[in-house]
Amino acid sequence: MITGKLKPLDEIAASISRYRKILILGCGTCVTVSLSGGDRAAEDLARELAHPRFFDGNPPAFKVDTILRQCEKDLVTAYLDIPPDTEAILSLACGAGVQTLAEVFGTMPVIPGLNTTFLGALDEPGILREKCYGCGDCILASTGGICPVARCAKRLLNGPCGGSSNGKCEISKEIDCAWQLIIDRLKALNRLDEYEKLSPLKDWSADRGGGPRSLDKAESVPFR
Amino acid sequence: MSFFRINERCNGCLACVQNCPANALDYVDEGNKRRLFHNMSLCARCGQCWRICPEQAIEFQHLLKGDWDEVASMDLIRCSVCGEPLYTMRFGEDLAHKLDHDVHALCPEHRQSLALVAWKNLVPGKTEVKELKR
Repeated sequence: MITGKLKPLDEIAASISRYRKILILGCGTCVTVSLSGGDRAAEDLARELAHPRFFDGNPPAFKVDTILRQCEKDLVTAYLDIPPDTEAILSLACGAGVQTLAEVFGTMPVIPGLNTTFLGALDEPGILREKCYGCGDCILASTGGICPVARCAKRLLNGPCGGSSNGKCEISKEIDCAWQLIIDRLKALNRLDEYEKLSPLKDWSADRGGGPRSLDKAESVPFR
Repeated sequence: MSFFRINERCNGCLACVQNCPANALDYVDEGNKRRLFHNMSLCARCGQCWRICPEQAIEFQHLLKGDWDEVASMDLIRCSVCGEPLYTMRFGEDLAHKLDHDVHALCPEHRQSLALVAWKNLVPGKTEVKELKR
């Protein structure tokens, strides 16, 4: 899922300091699950920002709402009613949600409250780790289901590098070497022959190299 | 009450059923009746049904802000002095079992004042006071 991390409160307060009536808008899907942008997070943020240490003790008026997904233009247009006197929206969605709101509410400032962080998986309760980079050209079939693009610091397609030590990456003892994981997994699958094959240069045009990407749902369903 | 609600414009064309990516909608034709079904546990609330419906018959707002379902009802223990809610009967029983003694139904404030009264009434015997403070 898409994960997000709340921006530092001082940064958020500075970014909304010129507005007096602010709608803090949670997003009900991905960032709710990553515990950073759901309805409860929105209420918590309103409470925190009302602390006298911000806004010289004169905080703006906050209202809180949440919509299931901020990233769907028609859904937001049809179902998001914002209070008429709202001066700005502080969005707790990922960047896609923030931009959708900005498009729907053309003249309304929409300010991000989160840093969209990564595509991750819930490894254990409360711990999300990056697992997918969204490169547009998945190679998991040949890497034992472990992605070196997302999980190797150097994004090596033929690893490991010399920085791998005792199964850990040289950047941190807390981070597994993705290529160690790949080798272990291929061994367990009895598919080490995959490891012997050199990966060719990756076609990065499916990644950001080809500019902003889009997906036509009709084209992406080949079986109908 | 289902969270998936349709209005009187539904003509049973099955566009929603055929286009639901989660297979959360289904139908049964039985005798002279067509019946539609929705499974909330499968529904991703993606809105595809709402978008695809040619009759605008799907009241998607109920899937966005639905009503609350009561999922449990149990006996509540309140502070025997001020009536503040403390915990459920079952929780109190579990606690008493773990502590191996009865638990007085007192909120923190009145638990403290009870201890002070006990302290006032007792002469230095600290052991007895500790016992009461539990």
